[in-house]
Amino acid sequence: MTAAELFHARVLEDGRQLRKRPRYAPWLDRGPSLAALEDVPLPEPRSYTWEYSNPNPWYERYATGSDDDESTEGIVASNGVEVSDFDAAESRERDIIDANLNATIDRHRYPLASVNDVLLRRGVVVEVPAGASGAEIELGPLGGDFERVLLIVGDGAEATLLERPASPAHRIVECLVGAGASLRHTRLQSAADSLEYHLVSSRVSAGARYRFAQYAQGSAMRRNDIHIEAAGDGADIEIHGAWHLSGRRHLDTQINVHHSAGGGTSRQTVRGVVDDRAKAVFNGRIHIAPGAQRTDAALSAKHMLLAPAAQAYAKPELEIYANDVKCAHGATMGEIDGDALFYLRSRGIGEAVARDLLVAGFLEEALGDLHPGEARALLHVEAREGLA
Amino acid sequence: MLEITDLHARAAGKPILKGIDLVVRPGEVHAIMGPNGSGKSTLANALAGRPDVEVTAGDMRLEGTSLIGLAPEERAHLGLFLAFQYPVEIPGVSNMEFLKAAVDSHNKALERDELSAASFVALAREAASRLHLAPEFLRRGVNAGFSGGEKKRNEILQMLLLEPRLAVLDETDSGLDIDALRTVASGVNAFASEANAVLLITHYQRLLDHITPDFVHVLLDGRIARTGDKSLAHALEADGYARLAESGA
Repeated sequence: MTAAELFHARVLEDGRQLRKRPRYAPWLDRGPSLAALEDVPLPEPRSYTWEYSNPNPWYERYATGSDDDESTEGIVASNGVEVSDFDAAESRERDIIDANLNATIDRHRYPLASVNDVLLRRGVVVEVPAGASGAEIELGPLGGDFERVLLIVGDGAEATLLERPASPAHRIVECLVGAGASLRHTRLQSAADSLEYHLVSSRVSAGARYRFAQYAQGSAMRRNDIHIEAAGDGADIEIHGAWHLSGRRHLDTQINVHHSAGGGTSRQTVRGVVDDRAKAVFNGRIHIAPGAQRTDAALSAKHMLLAPAAQAYAKPELEIYANDVKCAHGATMGEIDGDALFYLRSRGIGEAVARDLLVAGFLEEALGDLHPGEARALLHVEAREGLA
Repeated sequence: MLEITDLHARAAGKPILKGIDLVVRPGEVHAIMGPNGSGKSTLANALAGRPDVEVTAGDMRLEGTSLIGLAPEERAHLGLFLAFQYPVEIPGVSNMEFLKAAVDSHNKALERDELSAASFVALAREAASRLHLAPEFLRRGVNAGFSGGEKKRNEILQMLLLEPRLAVLDETDSGLDIDALRTVASGVNAFASEANAVLLITHYQRLLDHITPDFVHVLLDGRIARTGDKSLAHALEADGYARLAESGA
């Protein structure tokens, strides 16, 4: 048996036992996830979308169960935002969770999402009421290796979700962005030696705006699947990715923007810097479903390699089934621009500082206005203060 | 100020400079003219230390110190400045951040006190306004999306802030309309003093209507073929380089 098969068998066994004596949130219906797991194998090394990332160490690390729960503050939200732990959910929250959890997740595309349901150690549902403005949510480690966040942003509401650095084994963040609502979602991932698999799955309703940023350093194995659906007419999606990897660290980011409704826009801007023997993997897919006419989608992904043994694999993928769309994509791989380096040095700027400036400038292109200060601090490209 | 003796250099592996001799004294403005491919830009790049230009023989001394083997930043700290023919675009680095890093590096190398952010910003704005550049220009990415004229004015802005001993202007006039040419020329004229020197590299005589050189040198096939005063530039404009090449041959 492979590591994936062994792990799969253990999760199924756990799942069957859970049905009898669940440990966490016993009321939660894990049936559909278990059924999906019966059907679908877990990713093997070199299987589709896992060509450059090896999930085996992750399976092996968690095959004997996850660490005990730790009680942490975990989540802080501004006034008016409702936060409920799945375990303590009352009937109203349970109804909301039942109605919405996994609503955005394709269990066949993301089989590891079902694993999260079975091994769940802590989950929260976060509700931003319709029409709310300035709602702020900060998410730290929730405690427990398998975490789940269900964020529901009501129609017309404006909210910001900031994920502080945390390295659980597996975190799923599901965001439902209501009609005309706006969600800014920033994820920070600092350097670690952990084994991680994460999924962001967001559904953007008509006229809503979703902006997502992932600012990251690497880990021993860090895989981020990001699935965003433009589900209502005129949904507006903006994705920023900036990473700076060093040592032997790894980061695999797979973004899938799915336009299922018309008149939507999506923009993906990704800049990755890879040093030493680190490895970055990026897959950016744009799927435009039949009927999603007048979609305007674009993807720009650039990687900069700073060392001979640094590796980056980047692939844009377009699947277009509508005929009245605009879709642009570009992926480049390069080194520090020698002309730019000479230009800076000819102004007296030493080579090390010049390189740092060029790296910072390169990453800056992907920051946008989503928590740029936090991004610079995380990526070690602190800008000079007071020069604006 | 600058003493170049029997300088030979290759660019991209090809011999371009074949024995340049040139002396520039403080307070002087020299123009180097020549047709395409004569080695004008290679000379500028050899002075500044561009990595793909290889000096194979001869010497270049700035105020007595040989530039051979020095890093580009070390040459800058000695007081050399090259205004690029094609200034490089660096989109994610703001012009202000770049200028501050450049000035800081000079102050550090020369063991002078670092300027505070506030006093630097005031200095940069003042210099920008002298070149008719809006303050907004300082917040944009280095040369990113700048027009040809803005890029060249940005080069002059850097020159004004860094106060070099020797400024080498490589085809700074190319691609400029007449108003931008006047602005750039007045920046250079304001800069030039008895304490520094200017080396103007140009293809056309028109820049020399606005900046008066003390000497004009004509570069042909990697050597200085002729030296004269500004009337030489007028003669070239009338007769062209080919005539000169024939008469020299």
